[in-house]
Amino acid sequence: MIGETRESPGGGPMSVEQIEHELAQLRMNEDGTLGLRASVLNLLVVTDEESAGEVSRSVSNIAGRYPSRAILLISDPEEGEKNLEFKLSAFCNVRGEGHTQVCAEQITIHAEGPPAEHLESLAGPLLISDLPVFLWYPGPFSPSAPEFAGMASLADRIIVDSAAAGDCERSLREIAGLLEEDEMPAIGDLQWAQLSPWRSLAAGLFNAPERAGELGRLRRIEIMHAPDGECRALLFVGWLASTLGWRLVDAARTGDGREARFAGPAGEIVAEMSPASPDAPFRQVRLYSEDYGFEVARSRDLSEACTTVTRNGELLAERTVHLGKFDLGVLLGEELQFRGRDGIFEAALRAAVEILDL
Amino acid sequence: MADTQVLQNVLRDDQRLPRVPEPAAMVIFGASGDLTARKLIPALYDLAAQRRLPMEFAVVGISRTEMSHEDFRERLRSALEEHRSGQVSDDVWESFSKGIFYLPGDSKKPETYDDLKEFLKQLDEERGIEGNRIYYLSSSPSLFSTIVERLGEAGMNKGENGGYARLVVEKPFGRDLESARKLNEEIRRYFEERQIYRIDHYLGKDTVQNILALRFANGIFEPIWNQHYVDHVQITVAEDIGVGTRGAFYEEAGALRDIVQNHVMQVLCLTGMEPPVTFDADSVREEKVKVLKAIRPIPEDKVDEYAVRGQYARGWVFGEEVPGYREEKNVAPDSTTETYVALKLFVDNWRWAGAPFYIRAGKRMPKKATEIAIQFRPTPHTMFTRGETRGLEPNVLVIRIQPEEGISLKIGAKVPGSGFEVSSVNMDLLYGTAFLEEAPDAYQRLLLDLMLGDPTLFIRADEAEGAWAILDPVMHAWSQSKEIPTYPAGTWGPEEADELLRRDGSEWRRP
Repeated sequence: MIGETRESPGGGPMSVEQIEHELAQLRMNEDGTLGLRASVLNLLVVTDEESAGEVSRSVSNIAGRYPSRAILLISDPEEGEKNLEFKLSAFCNVRGEGHTQVCAEQITIHAEGPPAEHLESLAGPLLISDLPVFLWYPGPFSPSAPEFAGMASLADRIIVDSAAAGDCERSLREIAGLLEEDEMPAIGDLQWAQLSPWRSLAAGLFNAPERAGELGRLRRIEIMHAPDGECRALLFVGWLASTLGWRLVDAARTGDGREARFAGPAGEIVAEMSPASPDAPFRQVRLYSEDYGFEVARSRDLSEACTTVTRNGELLAERTVHLGKFDLGVLLGEELQFRGRDGIFEAALRAAVEILDL
Repeated sequence: MADTQVLQNVLRDDQRLPRVPEPAAMVIFGASGDLTARKLIPALYDLAAQRRLPMEFAVVGISRTEMSHEDFRERLRSALEEHRSGQVSDDVWESFSKGIFYLPGDSKKPETYDDLKEFLKQLDEERGIEGNRIYYLSSSPSLFSTIVERLGEAGMNKGENGGYARLVVEKPFGRDLESARKLNEEIRRYFEERQIYRIDHYLGKDTVQNILALRFANGIFEPIWNQHYVDHVQITVAEDIGVGTRGAFYEEAGALRDIVQNHVMQVLCLTGMEPPVTFDADSVREEKVKVLKAIRPIPEDKVDEYAVRGQYARGWVFGEEVPGYREEKNVAPDSTTETYVALKLFVDNWRWAGAPFYIRAGKRMPKKATEIAIQFRPTPHTMFTRGETRGLEPNVLVIRIQPEEGISLKIGAKVPGSGFEVSSVNMDLLYGTAFLEEAPDAYQRLLLDLMLGDPTLFIRADEAEGAWAILDPVMHAWSQSKEIPTYPAGTWGPEEADELLRRDGSEWRRP
């Protein structure tokens, strides 16, 4: 597969018709044939100047799996003067023996001044009809931002990153608050997407029927997360609690970490979450029942994870697998797979916020 | 949850997490063969690396070659490296290969099965396999019945301690109707149909499954998918390669057994079947069997009216001169094995009565192409004059399976200009290239389905027998004749195949 990015210089204000015409020109090959446009969704991205480059690369990277029309909106409402700039590009791939060209499109809009508060008026007319609309905030986001309500009204699903602002507590509370709003579309969190392989591996520890019963006998959870992984740790514990029917009894900060106590079917469960030092060799999740120990550990430098099961200290099972990549494109791709509400995420989020609130 | 006893792993009840099969041991008979190293182990390794296998999974290889567990692992690792240069993780392989074992043994001898049974019990205890067994017949087909019989006699046709036992049978499923029936009977003496997974890797291909998606996920096609609107259907499975190093195998098989009985008949079934009520194994396979039952039998004395065979002679393929079939290695100089087959079949049911299915499969064709062409009837009346419709042909919907997956629709459109000339235009939609990610390997998909207990993409006994029943008279008639038409390599088959359609006023498409 060969990829090629084609760009149109763009510039100042353009009409919708001019943009569509220019995008069609970008799909035109040198021999006069027209590259096919393949689209399965519209992707609206609200970002800032600083992150625009990386975000644009991530969008190009997912073009193979989710060919889309991406509309990047870089807004600066603080700027007093009205200013609009457009940049158009097409990412075209060649594949197959017939060398068929398939292009995904990207429209970048810089909006300053008053238009920056009405981004939906810019994005709405450029959406491809009949395709779902995903609204992605790769950086810090706030439901009270001037453009948010208008942009959310265009979307079928909103994707945020609860860790982006560096204030996990606030982000999780805000996202949980959005869940309660009637008209709000479904919401996904890249921190939750990053947990998928961890959750899958943790669930795999209990696949053997004789070990499934240990889920009801868990006593202690220890999570040593990456320095930026507090949201994930909270969501992981929230997932266990909501899935296994635990009731929160107490929660407290312990230095840099947290401790939560739950009442489970078989008694008390203590969950400890603590950040690993940046140079610690492993990130890990450990779950203990009376007799068993379950562990998922990832070496800081490797993309592989090792899972182990022990009984009374004796190793019962062990395996190493790929944990997968966690770059922006991969995480975004995972979130784009889902169209509706993710009940398990929502329950985990509510349980995580409960820990914060107690 | 009311008490401490969680009977199921509730952490898995999440649509975002991949389904992971129960613990199991896969026993591969004929493990020293090519299939194990080239297809099965790479597919299992990929599944393990992608977290799709349970921790408690083991492979036990059996064949007569003397090898230790470690020798077997080394051999598989080398083969994996050969196909995945630089893509094999040492740590993942180390972890995966700890679950690979080897037992040297003669699969004809009962004591081999005593040893195997003991070994599997040991694995149950040591690796928590839970008594689930998959027996994969990757040996010579001549050993299938014996292995099944020995497994049954040893009581291994049932899983241990309430676990399951499944049997995987690689194609060919017999050589003709009689041998297929015999094989099925022999297998079913010990295994129930629900335990048997006949594997045709063709059905594991995403592109083949997409036929179902196109037909049944798009409402616009169904109303015209019948003899009222369809003139005929052409199915083409063309390869540009010759028999290569498979001469000995091909001499025994031929195109009819190698491609038509399985791949082509499956494509025909998927194209012609009624919509299943649900996408589950029984519903889908039931509808496929109905198509096979509806295919009009070909009388042995009229085979020439319905079937054409051919054999490639020396010729040119894409600028390269290639040898004829009889010049290939391990092929008899007077061989009458067919490398090309064309058939005219009628599906005698309400949907397809009178609309023939023309199918062809061949080697050393001008290019590699697999496609289904639905040729629609012309309009009942045209208001345009003959001169105005010079370039206009009936609509054709082509479902391309490979090389470039997609559909193309030939429609009539006005030629720009002041007159009113109507001409045919091809509209191409390459939905395969819209998603640029590579589809998973067919074996990966099928092995996972097998372990998850989903037989939808496997062949049921009556499907295999149904396909043989249609082809049996053809094979018998051809076996009586020492003459076979030839075609130059790099062409679309013998002249007789063109004549087959010409008699009906049709012609083969150029893929």
